Amino acid sequence: MTAQSTPSATPSDPLPTLDPDRRATFTAIAAYLIPAAHGMPSAGDVIGDARLRFVLAVRPDLVEPLRAALRHELGTDPAARLARLEREEPDHHAALLLVVVGGYYTDADVRERLAYPGQEARPVVVWKVPPYVEEGLIDQVLARGPIWRDPATGRRAEPT
Amino acid sequence: MATEPADVLIVGAGATGGVVALRLAQAGFRVVCLEQGDWHDRSEYRGAELDWELTMRKQWATSPNVRALPEDYPIDESDTEVSPLMYSAVGGSMLIFAGAWPRMLPSDFRVRSLDGIADDWPLAYDELLPYYERSDRQFGVSGMGGDPAYPPGGEDPPLPPLPIGAGGLKVARAHARLGWHWWPEPNSILSVPYDGRHPCVQRGTCQQGCGEGAKASTDLTHWPKAIASGARLVTGARVRRLETKAAGLVTGATWLDRDGHEHFEPAKVVVLAANAIGTPRLLLLSASPAHPDGLANASGLVGRRLMMHPFANVGGLFDEDLESWQGQFGCSIESFEFYETDERRGFVRGAKWGLAPTFGPINAALPSRAGTRVWGPDHHLHVRSHLGRGANWGLFGEDLPDESNHITLSPTLTDSSGIPAPEVHYKVAENSRRLLDFHIERASESLREAGAHTVEVDRLMRYSGWHLLGTARMGDDPSTSVLDRWNRAHDVPNLYVVDGSCFVTSAGVNPTSSICAIALRAADHMVESRFNQQVPA
Repeated sequence: MTAQSTPSATPSDPLPTLDPDRRATFTAIAAYLIPAAHGMPSAGDVIGDARLRFVLAVRPDLVEPLRAALRHELGTDPAARLARLEREEPDHHAALLLVVVGGYYTDADVRERLAYPGQEARPVVVWKVPPYVEEGLIDQVLARGPIWRDPATGRRAEPT
Repeated sequence: MATEPADVLIVGAGATGGVVALRLAQAGFRVVCLEQGDWHDRSEYRGAELDWELTMRKQWATSPNVRALPEDYPIDESDTEVSPLMYSAVGGSMLIFAGAWPRMLPSDFRVRSLDGIADDWPLAYDELLPYYERSDRQFGVSGMGGDPAYPPGGEDPPLPPLPIGAGGLKVARAHARLGWHWWPEPNSILSVPYDGRHPCVQRGTCQQGCGEGAKASTDLTHWPKAIASGARLVTGARVRRLETKAAGLVTGATWLDRDGHEHFEPAKVVVLAANAIGTPRLLLLSASPAHPDGLANASGLVGRRLMMHPFANVGGLFDEDLESWQGQFGCSIESFEFYETDERRGFVRGAKWGLAPTFGPINAALPSRAGTRVWGPDHHLHVRSHLGRGANWGLFGEDLPDESNHITLSPTLTDSSGIPAPEVHYKVAENSRRLLDFHIERASESLREAGAHTVEVDRLMRYSGWHLLGTARMGDDPSTSVLDRWNRAHDVPNLYVVDGSCFVTSAGVNPTSSICAIALRAADHMVESRFNQQVPA
């Protein structure tokens, strides 16, 4: 097994790399990007330590760009911070968005509200006649005849 | 370290490396393969895990530059509009390909004769048909016979078609109303148990490795049998260069192991199966006083004529929940309605369309294909309107060969072993832009007829270089081609190239089916001509 696919093997907890100021800034930005509305909760509320730890554990490469995106000198206005990052530091901006979205949409409650069960295993049924056959859709394609171009004539092939 | 030369040394254990190794090992050849990547266990794939949409953007990204794993080589992309995509492992890029398995059409082999542009192939559709059929059985292809986009006759796909899903059915009905072609897509993904493998479970994560083993890749379909037949596969083996003798024959390969130690693997015949970026890179790296422009390059065409299928994604959004995050990521249905040349459109050649799933909620929020991002309260409406409610036509346009689209060696960038990385120089041709514009309009029409209230377009996706073709083309004339019609280098009689480098023109379809059929044909020829094969003394 290679290291790339074993996020649980990340050696240390990434959360302590975010000081309280950065952590608070992250929550404010998350709530700004995805606020509570339309029956959905705010990302600021959803992304607690567990969700943030999960994202950074599976994507340890995001830790440093996230730290950079949350640094104090970028100010307290989420909109201004995001605009500046997008303009001047697109990699840090992208990392911040992905951590927010990743933390939010891996939350069980959020997924339930969206009626999204995750990527499920659904066995393929091949013993039933597919609806497109029953409806005659295949017959209609066949009735229109061949559409391939015959190299011998340069024209659409004739029905045989 | 080997002392006796292998009968055949294969570089690369991906799609064609596996095909050739199995055929030759079963014919009694002593086969050795050097692969810079490793084996992957299916338990490593993330499709069934909560993190799949996060890891697909890094650890399981299709771009080696994004993954940046030690076994990947970096690619200088500063002079290309499309990023080449690949994976270094046993099974190669098949681990992350979609699994769509259409064949080329008869006209694809006669582009010069029919359309007065590019070149004809030195072989024809009918000649390749038996190899398509054998290859389909080896990989396990699901599909429906009788597609009127192809000539009649021949074997049907060995397995029944996969489901087309709610989105596929809506679009199929729309095409019935429009009078346009559609057909269930053939996929190298099992619809039923086959050859000891499990069938597809419709998880929709084919491009991050198939956890079921339902999607074909040669680590499952070919290498275990090849090894059981005596082939020796060395992983973590990065080939630095091919070595030659004064007589013009290749004698083997110098390679580096994971610890950086150098080895030499002697061989009577060498087969390159390293994709249309890796193969020309290696031929250029093998320059010597006798071959100052690179090995097998008397024509000057090694690394030139790179084709990557300019790709557009046209996504339709529907009111109904289609659960479009599920389903094979190969494709559910295809259309060849506008595949053949119609000069009234203002361009030559055409594109095949394939309808694909639409990922999960992270992609709905941060689309990797067509679409926008919405923040604030309306973010929730945006995600609800996208998640599970989409159908995506992927449009693969035929890419015409152009010698200015080419591979060179970087003077500055290297892989983790210090070997020069490839530079890709690639521009999308005007014909391709017109072609995509036309097909985008028609695909949008298809989706609107199917009931889409919104159509979103990604006109020329940067991360769409899945199909790497043409950098060591085959042909009958050594002055205008690198390989002969059997994939053997004109200049080096014991050197073969069996990957997509050999393509003369790109066609407008997913090429892996054709690449594998051509490789199987080349392997048959190696077996049949074994007693006439020139080898080093």
